[in-house]
Amino acid sequence: MADQPDGILLKRHRDLQGRDWHPWVRRGLVALLALVTLLALLGFVGQHPSTTRAEATAAALDVNAPGSVRGGLLYQARFTIAAHQDLKDATLILSSEWIDGLTVNTIEPGPLNEGSRNGDLVLELGHIAGGDKYVLYMDYQVNPTTVGSRTLKVELLDGDQPVTSLTRTQRIWP
Amino acid sequence: MDVVIRAAIAFAFIFFLTRVVGRRELSSMEPFDLIMLIVLGDLVQQGVTQSDYSVTGLVLAAGTIALMQVLVSYVNFRFKRARIVLEGEPIVLVEDGRVLLRNLHRERLTRGELEEQARLSQIDSLANVRWAVLENNGQISFIPKQ
Repeated sequence: MADQPDGILLKRHRDLQGRDWHPWVRRGLVALLALVTLLALLGFVGQHPSTTRAEATAAALDVNAPGSVRGGLLYQARFTIAAHQDLKDATLILSSEWIDGLTVNTIEPGPLNEGSRNGDLVLELGHIAGGDKYVLYMDYQVNPTTVGSRTLKVELLDGDQPVTSLTRTQRIWP
Repeated sequence: MDVVIRAAIAFAFIFFLTRVVGRRELSSMEPFDLIMLIVLGDLVQQGVTQSDYSVTGLVLAAGTIALMQVLVSYVNFRFKRARIVLEGEPIVLVEDGRVLLRNLHRERLTRGELEEQARLSQIDSLANVRWAVLENNGQISFIPKQ
């Protein structure tokens, strides 16, 4: 048998004594990577959109937006108001979490008026006839420094009268 | 602050990847590996600096990565147990002309790859090898028979 090179311990480096479990650590870590990839494919880390619906006698409100987004990415939120009755002065009130830490690239169609009420964003949409559908698009980009989970509230009003409201959860990954 | 955290996370993740992927895969530098290396670098850069084009951002990100590298290097130097985890250990692949298949398979290496590496080291047959060792950096060192 040849003398081993300096620094080589035959038991440890040839016979792998005490190293039998090492490949299992590597396999476990590879499985962890695969799990993360699988979760991403299932939409866990964004940006698969989902729809939340709130129904009332006067109107139905649908909000379609991703529940999870990531820093720097573009996404869209779509607000659909299906009026069952005339809404003379339809107004959407979005909680501050709809805007804070995000860049709003555009709101289409532009509301008749915008305002602030206790920190919430007020969008006055105007008259929506009974049986009509009004769709509002908001296009966003997530600011890279924004992370965490937040609750988003939307209220639909007719003038000062609440019609319906809903809440959603949004998770922002770094 | 966030760029420092992102750079530290990127460093830790790349370090983790290099340990998980395996030594041989990383040490080989085929054209495909080279392209993947560039793609990986680009992905990491985007995740670290994102839309920060400032010199300050560059200094913070590069400085953080350099500091992390020094830290790993110091831990390697100072603690033997950590060195085994962070750098790995050599594995004997050939002893006195005999290929140790168990060790070869453990590193997902074929006999053909071993022979190729031997040829690159001007060795025509593994029978003429006294010792072949897969080193921590992924290279295979050959010590020929006298």
